[in-house]
Amino acid sequence: MTLFEIDNVRKTFTNGEVKEEILKGINLSLREGEITALVGASGSGKSTLLTIAAGLQPTTEGQVLFEGKNMTNMSAEQVRQVRASKFGFVFQFAHLVPFLTVEEQLMLMLDVSETKLKKHEQTEEVNRILKLVGMDHRKNAYPSSLSGGEKQRVAIARAIIHKPKVLFADEPTASLDSKRSKEVMLLIRDLTKTLNITTLMVTHDEEMLAYADHIVKMSDGLILQNTN
Amino acid sequence: MNLALKEIKKNKVRFLILGSIVFLVSLLTFIISGLANGLSQDNAALIKDLPEGQFYMNEDADEKYNLSRIDSELQNELLHKEKNAVAFSIQMGFLNDEADKQQSVAFVTSTDSKLFENVKPGEIILDSSLKKAGIKVGDTLTNNQFSGEFVVKGFVDQKKYSHAPVAFINMVNYQEIYRVMEMQMVFVPDADSSHEIAGLQSFSNKEFLGTISSYSAEQMSLNMIIWFLVVISGMLFAIFFYMMNVQKIGLYGILKAIGIKTSKLFKMIWTQMFVITVISLILSITLSQVFNMIAPEGMPFSLTFETTMQLSLVFLVIGFIGATLSGLQIKKIEPLQAIQQGEA
Repeated sequence: MTLFEIDNVRKTFTNGEVKEEILKGINLSLREGEITALVGASGSGKSTLLTIAAGLQPTTEGQVLFEGKNMTNMSAEQVRQVRASKFGFVFQFAHLVPFLTVEEQLMLMLDVSETKLKKHEQTEEVNRILKLVGMDHRKNAYPSSLSGGEKQRVAIARAIIHKPKVLFADEPTASLDSKRSKEVMLLIRDLTKTLNITTLMVTHDEEMLAYADHIVKMSDGLILQNTN
Repeated sequence: MNLALKEIKKNKVRFLILGSIVFLVSLLTFIISGLANGLSQDNAALIKDLPEGQFYMNEDADEKYNLSRIDSELQNELLHKEKNAVAFSIQMGFLNDEADKQQSVAFVTSTDSKLFENVKPGEIILDSSLKKAGIKVGDTLTNNQFSGEFVVKGFVDQKKYSHAPVAFINMVNYQEIYRVMEMQMVFVPDADSSHEIAGLQSFSNKEFLGTISSYSAEQMSLNMIIWFLVVISGMLFAIFFYMMNVQKIGLYGILKAIGIKTSKLFKMIWTQMFVITVISLILSITLSQVFNMIAPEGMPFSLTFETTMQLSLVFLVIGFIGATLSGLQIKKIEPLQAIQQGEA
């Protein structure tokens, strides 16, 4: 079932009098529970496409349909609500809140997504997800005492704690070594399959493509290849 | 989840520094305010202790009470019409004690009234600060313009004028010393500015205090320092939170990306400002009140709890404005910017 529909999306940036078209009419569908990897050289437009799909920047032309609703017509507050409750984010850097413990990072996300869980249910859910990402033994630790891999695991846990429909991952393994990268990708794949989360991921690392269901190769603002 | 308190708990030193600065600035403000109030009492307690009403002086006196002479007929008419009105005069002068030591005083005389001390000819009632100079009840004091002697009949507390202790004397003795028959002013309690009298200029209590040149100059300087300190504390908040916010732009961007409301980030700053200011103010209020109790007797210091509360409220409002101004940059933060930046 198609969850996300990117329909003829164009994006142009204006720098003074110079106009640069980054996306030149992209059409892409994301199916429920599948991992789609966006690959391509720097400047090919893959990160711009991901951020437009995630509602972090507007399109110049075209539309983004999520669960049949046109996100390009939504107000900023409506987009924020979708991001908070339906989307999860993992970035190149973990970007954890430095003054919150691992457990509190996840509690914050439940708070932001306005989940209807009671306090004890929230604690149970946090413990369950931390166990799932193998971080339950560090739940009282602050980010400053975690390794890069551990931070990224917490970031993934934060991204899925509120049961999002879509996970956006922008170079999630770029700051990790090869061993940690594989661990993180395995984790993303297992979680998305277990929890039926649709994932859109940007990566430079060809080794990571082995974990994707679809590979979309981009070049110069256009999709060159869309393979299963 | 209370992000504000969690951040304070994790970054104690950073917030302790801000708190210490707010504590020191507010303490300094309270102390200067106490001094301003103390000096104001020292300068014009005689006038400040009077109830609200209207002061009248001669129109030709150019708003200088010591140049004013109220016509006796007009004065009698006014005192007859206004039951509680009182005519009075103030002049700076000297008294010689029994050891012939000169004491600077403000001679005050008035018509019969409950608002001023009534003394018989040859008697004098002094401000209690003169006790420290060794003067006691029954002593005889002299003045080189006065043919007789003054017998000290008693003392009154906190009656000062122009930083000098007040000496209440009878009208007859005053007229002899200063060789004037007319009184300088008439005070009508409970009257308002609509109560005009031909040939006389009227002043409210506050306006009259303003005509005492040393009083207005002194209070203006001290009040300027107080408000300067209040503004500095507001700027401190704005600068501190601005610098903290600059360091946290990446974090705020990520929080916005995951869907946190901008209003929640503002609430976080306001809560931090409120917590830091309230703790700092509690400490500075306590310390300034302790100082109020132990301040040396000769120091003109008077800090009421009401004044402290009013200034505290101003500190909170200024802190709120400072924190809000610094928070305006949060509104401008784009989540995308933060994502494209490295780890904060």
